[in-house]
Amino acid sequence: MTRRPPAALLATLGFLLLLVILLVAGALLVRSILTESFANAERIRAARIVLSNVLRAQLDEETGVRGYAVAHDPLLLEPYYQGRASLPMLLSRVKSVSQTLQLNEAMPLISDAVETNRRWLRQDLPLLYSRKRGHVLELRGKVLIDRFRADVHGIDIALARREVLGDVRAQRAIVWANFFALAAVLAVAAAAALYTVQEYRLGMRLERERDNAERQRRRSAEMRAAYEAEKRIADTLQEAFAARSLPELPTLRLSAAYVAATEEAKVGGDWYDALPLSQDRVMLAIGDVTGHGIEAAVAMNKARQMLIGCALVDPTPGHVLARVNAELVAERSPMITAVAGLVDARTREFRYASAGHPAPVLLEPGRPARFLEVGSLPLGVNADTQYATHRVASAPGALLVLYTDGMIEHSHDVLQGETILLEAVESAAERAVEDPAKAIRDAIFSRYQISDDAAILAIRFLDAAVAAASEKDALVGTA
Amino acid sequence: MNQSDSIKTLRLSGELEISRKDEIRATLRRGGDDRAILLDLSEVTYADSVALTELLRFCVDAQRSEVPVALVVQTPQFARIVQYAGLANAFRTFDDRDAAFTYLAESVES
Repeated sequence: MTRRPPAALLATLGFLLLLVILLVAGALLVRSILTESFANAERIRAARIVLSNVLRAQLDEETGVRGYAVAHDPLLLEPYYQGRASLPMLLSRVKSVSQTLQLNEAMPLISDAVETNRRWLRQDLPLLYSRKRGHVLELRGKVLIDRFRADVHGIDIALARREVLGDVRAQRAIVWANFFALAAVLAVAAAAALYTVQEYRLGMRLERERDNAERQRRRSAEMRAAYEAEKRIADTLQEAFAARSLPELPTLRLSAAYVAATEEAKVGGDWYDALPLSQDRVMLAIGDVTGHGIEAAVAMNKARQMLIGCALVDPTPGHVLARVNAELVAERSPMITAVAGLVDARTREFRYASAGHPAPVLLEPGRPARFLEVGSLPLGVNADTQYATHRVASAPGALLVLYTDGMIEHSHDVLQGETILLEAVESAAERAVEDPAKAIRDAIFSRYQISDDAAILAIRFLDAAVAAASEKDALVGTA
Repeated sequence: MNQSDSIKTLRLSGELEISRKDEIRATLRRGGDDRAILLDLSEVTYADSVALTELLRFCVDAQRSEVPVALVVQTPQFARIVQYAGLANAFRTFDDRDAAFTYLAESVES
């Protein structure tokens, strides 16, 4: 993957490029101004020299005329002729330079000087050939000469002004050049500072992002570790509670199964217990603590111990649940649903009480499986709740099934779940499987996804003769 | 104040699960100071144990405060849950909203 240059570098480079373009343009402009200024200064200097030559030529004309007028020596007319020959050319050069310099104020003065000189020549020429000194003409000549000199002086002043103006422009250009140079230095320094600051900020941001990412990673790892630790503990507790060995009685066959939720967060507080109270009586319990994780597992353990403790004092299921409920309400325990039951193997009587728990299923030979009557509030909700003890008489070969809600709520349609459970119970009874609990569990969860923990406890009532034969076989086998 | 003003109707629908715990609590909290509450669960099809806990505790608290509560349950799936969870025996449940309203109106009058 191509790595793009950082935005700060691009911005700085763009700024520098713009700056270089501006500086080059500025330098060229300054150079142009200076070049023009120097060229104009040179032109003005040359024009002023020419202008002095103009004055000298005019003076030669005047001197020659005046000398000849006094001495009538033709030799004295030599400067006059030279001046008269050179003056038009000199004035033409002055005019050319003035046009180049666009010295508009000098143009009328030059024209006037040319015309004045021409008039003076026209006036003094008759004087040369008449060999007379005309006083009036002499006076007019003086006026024309003064005017000519005034024109030349005016041109010189215009040139001088332009020279000063050129100097000022050159000085300004030099000031601008200095300014550009200083600006360049400052801009380069600013760009360097900007780049450094941007780099620093970028570095700081990267460092912060790295720190945040690292913190996030650590936090995630810690949370994951904590969650895994909690899940491990909850799983361990759950397995330990669920895997308790079941009592073996001559006329009862107990089997149990547990299904752990596939979703980690759903590991909950389902449990079952079967506690032999005497040779013929077994106390049964199955329950489910609301919630998941360690809290649910701990609450479950507490409820189990309470149930067993209360059953040892008074095994009447309704009394057991009432006492446990009162203690759980006092301890502000999470809500718990449970069924407490008492099975008498000798009379095949099942007495039970339910606290908000799904109804047990009883299947008697020759009859369809059915749900037993339930309908009291869960444990831990209301301390005044009374739990009725129901009594059911079963027959040899009957199958009693206690379970938690995970067995019927897998599709969130409880009626459908109950129908499937009844079918699974009837199928297990019909096939007379060795382990009805596992058979029922497998029948359900081979068709439906496990969404919550589920526990199942199955009790099969054996015929006394079958039980005796089975016991005899076992003894023979042992011998 | 007429009777309908003194009876507050709280309505929940769909599948009530742990993921909707806050919503359920917020709905039930709206019935704080009313003289009678009609809890309309006619469109509820399922409630997990966490949602049931919220409903149960709300009903028990209302009972302790001597505020009459009537539950309207219509879907057979949820009716079965209500039945084995003990709600049907511990609180007044109806499969008809008008009947529940009449019961609450009489409770308020008396």
